[in-house]
Formats: sequence, structure tokens, C-alpha cells
Amino acid sequence: MRPQLQQSGLFRAITVASVLALSAGALGAPAALAQVQGGELVVVQGSNPPSLDAMVTSSQASRNINMNMYETLYGFSEDVRPIPILAEGVEISDDGLTYVFTLRQGVLFHNGKEMTSEDVKASLERYRVVGATANKLDPVREIEVTGPYEVTFHMVAPTPTFLESFSSPRAPAVIIPAEDAEAEAGRTSLIGTGPYRFVEFVPDSHVTIERFDDYTADTRHDGVDGFGGRKTAYLDRVIFRIIPEPGAQVAALEAGEVHIVEQMPMPAARRLADSPDITLYENMPWAFTTFHLNLNVPPTDNVKFREAVQVALDMEAIMAISSEGLYQLNHGWQYPGTAYWAGDIGAEYYNLGDVDRAQELLAEAGYDGETFSILTDPNIPQHGRAAVVIAEQLNGVGINAVINQVDWPTALSIRLQDEGWNGWTLQMGIEPYLGPVGTIATLTSPARPHFVVPDPELDALYQELISGVTLEERQETFSRIQARMYEIFASIKIGDSGLMQAGRANVQGFIPFRFPRMHDVWLEG
Amino acid sequence: MIGFLSRRLLSAIPVLFVVSLVTFLILWLVPGDITAEIAGPDATAEDLAAIRARLGLDRPLWERALAWYADLFRGDLGYSYLLNRPVSEAVLERLPVTLSLAGLALVMATAMGMLLGILAAVRHNTLVDQGAMVTALIGLSIPDFWFGIVMIILFGVWLGWFPTGGFVPLAEDPVGWARSMALPAITLALTQMGVIARMTRSAMLDVLGQDYIRTARAKGMKRSTVVFRHGLRNAMIPIVTVVGVITGVLLSGAVVIETVFSLPGVGRLIIGAIQRRDFPIIQGGLLITACVFVFVNILVDMLYAWFDPRVRNDR
Repeated sequence: MRPQLQQSGLFRAITVASVLALSAGALGAPAALAQVQGGELVVVQGSNPPSLDAMVTSSQASRNINMNMYETLYGFSEDVRPIPILAEGVEISDDGLTYVFTLRQGVLFHNGKEMTSEDVKASLERYRVVGATANKLDPVREIEVTGPYEVTFHMVAPTPTFLESFSSPRAPAVIIPAEDAEAEAGRTSLIGTGPYRFVEFVPDSHVTIERFDDYTADTRHDGVDGFGGRKTAYLDRVIFRIIPEPGAQVAALEAGEVHIVEQMPMPAARRLADSPDITLYENMPWAFTTFHLNLNVPPTDNVKFREAVQVALDMEAIMAISSEGLYQLNHGWQYPGTAYWAGDIGAEYYNLGDVDRAQELLAEAGYDGETFSILTDPNIPQHGRAAVVIAEQLNGVGINAVINQVDWPTALSIRLQDEGWNGWTLQMGIEPYLGPVGTIATLTSPARPHFVVPDPELDALYQELISGVTLEERQETFSRIQARMYEIFASIKIGDSGLMQAGRANVQGFIPFRFPRMHDVWLEG
Repeated sequence: MIGFLSRRLLSAIPVLFVVSLVTFLILWLVPGDITAEIAGPDATAEDLAAIRARLGLDRPLWERALAWYADLFRGDLGYSYLLNRPVSEAVLERLPVTLSLAGLALVMATAMGMLLGILAAVRHNTLVDQGAMVTALIGLSIPDFWFGIVMIILFGVWLGWFPTGGFVPLAEDPVGWARSMALPAITLALTQMGVIARMTRSAMLDVLGQDYIRTARAKGMKRSTVVFRHGLRNAMIPIVTVVGVITGVLLSGAVVIETVFSLPGVGRLIIGAIQRRDFPIIQGGLLITACVFVFVNILVDMLYAWFDPRVRNDR
């Protein structure tokens, strides 16, 4: 069977525009367009950044702003490869136990001080203490300053995937001045090395950043490349306005009070698709829509029952409704076209909506009408919408599915309990982007798997994945991981959803990415 | 009057104590806490326990309550987990936004409501009466969040007369402040205007039927003097009561309006804190809001005394 990959037709034209723009961006700043320096651009997002201390939060609302102010030694390129940003490069010893990072020279912090290896060591030592994903430095035994522009990592054991996890933007290991290294979480002076620097944060109102005129661009590149590359700040100031109500966000965009809406409601996008004043940007794929089952309680402790759930679901209907039309069908636990895409494995179980087979499996499982409680929340709208469709489809095959909709903190609290729920709808945003390690880490030990009871075989495969020396080895392991996912049916892949963004027509150079990149963007007219 | 005021202020203490205690108990009953927000969906139970211990959330409720009250007596409302700043600072910084919104809305609702109510009473059983009451009913029936969005689309997007949202501090730009507050205040005022209009009409009808009004008219007194000096002043007690109640409603209604118009007020602060379980902000924010309510009630009592000498003479 061919891989199930299908995209909604409504925004195909926009996709083409996005891909073309993306290609242009990846190859460097579009030469044909005359960039304009100056101006004030307003971006809208729905919630406050929990913190502007980039190390301590993995929140998207923070990342949107922070990645314009801070930089890391290594980060992901446009095609999700680790590339040096503040580092000149890295030399890894043959035994994989030593990483020597050479730093770029002449890089200035926003306070005018030059970045040296002392700052790098101090920043990463702080990250070990306050970093929201501090465990990514667990493989590092010691960080040693081996020169004014050189730091050496001494590793606990060879970790072939270390550079990938170290480059993760989830809660980025940003470099800050050594003077800030002792600061408690959230108490730094918010100084980084990025093209924009912090001006003010008024909670529930806005965050303002301004161009850092002494920014040291990475001249090794011709243009932007993912989180790195050659960055040029054209705008004088960027204001991130916090507008929680989606309708008010769209109204502000239509009135010309703001320039970019970070998350555009799909009905509004459809309405404005032909507007000459508005440009739509389809950020696809953005997240996995997933459904996790609790293996600790009946009836989901029975693999036959879980298989019945898998074959009963019509993914297209769930995705169409939960994403409001911006989705692609994908059975894989990686995005198509990425290095670890595992092909057809598992596709035979995907998007079947097969009532007869589901009922046979339920009979085999000895299902006797026990309650199947779906935990969900309205805070992330896709969660609640997916749960409604899933419940309807499961009721259709004779499963007694009920929805338990609570707010997000309550849902997180309940899902950590071993009992009291059977299924949990979850949008996985940054994890799939980070690659197979980031995704599978949430489904295996030593973390608590989303499906509660660890699967020893999957755990072993995960260990094999992170210790695989070559890419080919890791790809082969990941294929077996995907096969295992379709044997245990513990977490169900529903599909890939996109993120619709919109901007005023005078915004130039904006390329949708994992955060709204404000460098290499300018205002025309 | 000083004795009256002192008695009222003293009676506020148990009210505020009960409010804070109930807040504590409710927060204890609600599932989930700030650790979920800090740690994210991938956290293990051990991660959450570590964060809980760091924030002191693993201590028994009574111990946390005692510590909070001890801090309160020192004038310390606590420290926000998420905002990383003192609660009093965060709440007081936003109080002017909420108070100016509720204050403007109160003035508009009272002025418009009383005008409609007086007109309806004076022109009792005429088209004017019916028109005024239909207007009041429409105001009462329209959900404020819907009306707010309609106002944004009409006056912000289509006509471009007012900003679609956001707040401009009064000290920074008075005209900008007025423009930023106009639509939210009108939206908030509309819903409560109807209540005041109906109460004013009813109170005025009652008063205008009294013997002393008939006597005043018989003496040949000007109609406006009869209506405003003799009629309205004597109808003010129930109107002031309703205005007092409405002040509380406007403060709570400001939560929705602040969200629709992206105003950084106390309502949004508390809602955000509830969604994330930032307990210190919820406790401190609700206590300060309760203080405002109590203050408004005292003000209403003082107005009673001012309008009706019998009230102050009874004390």
C-alpha cells in the first residue's frame, strides 16, 4: 500500500507559494527584492510568554520571541540538520568522548561585551540547573574552557545523537553573559547575542524588541538557514502583542493595526484568501495529532481492543474537523520527506474506518461495554475537536466512549494518574520536528510513556536508536520502532496538522518557520 | 460620619477573611497545579514532585495558609510563580486598567440608564416609555462578548474610528487612552444600562405618584424642578443600591471585555492565573478585588446617608 499522504485541497496554492518562499529563503535572501531598513512591525500571538529567560521554558509563546533575541552554539538548519551558529564548528574525537567547540570571534552580547568561552561554559552550567530540558546535557560529564574561544565537552559515554539533541530549540541552551549565570530562573537581564534585543515586557499587553545595531552576522552563509545562517535585522522595532481572542486578532490584522498573526483561525483565513491586503502563509506540517491509550486499565490494557480502536478510526474525518481543514494524512511517526521517514510501515492499519473489522476485534478482545473515557481539554482546540469525532466513531462500532473534557492543567494532572482515563488527545508540536529521538522519548522509559505502561521492546529500540553510530543504523532502528508502534497500538497517529499564519501585504521576506523570524523581514511602503 | 465609616471598615475585615479562606479552600479542591504548566506534558511524576517541593506546594494546606496570612499581615501578598514578580506589584499595576474600564462604563451606564428611566417614567404609557424600555431590554439581552466583537468589526475594522484593542495609559496619551477605552466601556455599559433604566423607571413612577409631588405640581412649580429636585432625589435610594450592585457586576464583567479588547487588566490577570494555577496571583488578585467590592459597598452606604438623613440619624 502506498503511504497515506494526502493534503487538503483548499490551500494547495498557498502551499506552493510557501514552498517557493521557503526555497528562496533557504538559498539566501531574495536578491530581486529591495530590502527596506526601519519601521515597526507588530506580531500577534494569543498568550503571554511564560518567561523571556529562554533556558527555562519550552513554551511556543516564549520561543516565538526568544529566538529573535538569543542564539545557541548549534541549532537546526532549514532541513533540520545541526549547524553551527555561535560556534565556528565542532571536532568530535574518534571515540565520541570529546567534543571540541570552537567559537566565532567578535560576537557581541547586547551589552556590548564580546562572547568568550567563559560565557559559554557559564551559560551551559546554568542550563544544567535551570534548563527546562536540562537532561540534554546529561551525556556531558564536564565542560572545560580550553581557550578563549574554545570549550571542550567531556562525555560520559559516546552519544551519537548528542549534537541533534543539543541543537534542539525546545528549551534552547542559549548563550548569555557569564554575569547572568548565577541568576535564578527568570531573573536574568535578558541579554543575548541575537539580531534583536529586549526593550520591555508588559504582561497581557506586549513584548517589545529592537534591532541590535552591533549584531555580528554569520558571514559563512548567504542568507537565513533555519535557526542560523546570515541574519539581517531590517526593522527598528518588533512588538509582539498579546491578543487572546482570535476574532480580535483577525480584526486587528484587517484594520492594519498589526502586521502578522502567528496563528490564524481557518474560517478567517478562508474569508480573507482573496484579500489583496492580506497574505496567507501555510506552515505545514506543524504538529502531530495523536491519541494515546492508557495500557494500565481495562479495556485499553488489551491489545486486541486497542487494535479495534485503531482500525475503527477514520483519520480523514478526525483531521478535517480537528484542524478545520489544514492537514495531511500521515500514518508515520516522522514527517514525510525527512531523514527518518519509514515508508509504508503501518499504513495498512491507518485511516480504515472499518466497522466490521473493529467489531470482530472487539469480540476477540472480549469487550463487554466497559466505559472508554477520553481525556481532553478545550485550551488547545484541536484536542477537544478530535476527541468529539473519535468518540462518535468509537460509539459507532459499539465502544462505550465518553468524553471527559477538563482544562489543560487538570488534564495534565489526570493523565499522570495510572487510572481514571483510557484515551488522551494530544497535539505533539515540537517533538516531531526534533526528529525520532524527541518523538519516541515521550513514549519510552526512562520518562513516563504517554501510554503509562512502558513497553520493554520499544524501550530497547529507543536505546538502540540513540546509540546508533551511523544515520543508516538509526534509520533502520526507527523503521522497527514504527513497526512496533503498529503492533502494540499504544499511541495512535491520527495525522499531521498545519498552522495557518497571515500577514499584511506590505510585509516582505517573511518565511513561515518554527518561530516568527523577524530578521530578514522588512516593511514595504 | 466618622463613627459610621469606622463601623463599616471594621465590618469589612471578617468579609475579607472569609473571601481569602474560601479562595484557599477552592484552590485546594481544584485538580492540577502550576507544576503542570512549568513542566509541560512530558513531565514524569518525579519531575512534578521536584517542582512542587521547590515551590513549597507539597506542604499541608493549613501550613501554606498560615504562611500566607503571616505574609499578608506584613503587607506581602506573595510572589507569582509565572510572572516572577510580587503579586501586589502585578495586581496594582493592572488595577488602573480595570478601574478605568469599570468606572467609565459605570458613568455611561448610569447616565444613559437614568436618562432612559426618567424619560420612561415621565412619559409613562407612551411610545417614549415603550421605546426606552425596549432599548433597555436589548441592552440586557445582548451578550457582551458578541457585542464587543461587533463593535470591533464596525468601528475598528470597517470605519476605523477606534483601535480594535490594546490599552494606552492615561498619563502617556490622554486622547489615546480615551480612544482605547471607548469601545470596551460602551460595550460593558450597554448591558448594565438596562438594569439601571428599569429600576429608575420603577422608582420614579413610585415617587411621582406621591402626594407631595402632586402638591408641588399644584403649587405651579416648574416640571423639571418637580421631576429632578423632588422626584429624582427621593427615588435615588433604590437607584444607588442598583448602581452599587452593578459596580460589582461591571468589575466582574470586565474580565470578558478585557479579553475581547486585549486590555491588560486585573480580570485577565486572574483568568490567566486560574488557567495556569498560579495560586499566589489568584489569592492576591481576588483579595484586592474583594477590597474594591467592599469599598464600593461602603461608598454606597455613605451615599444612602447623604441622600436620606434618616439613615445617618439612625446610626
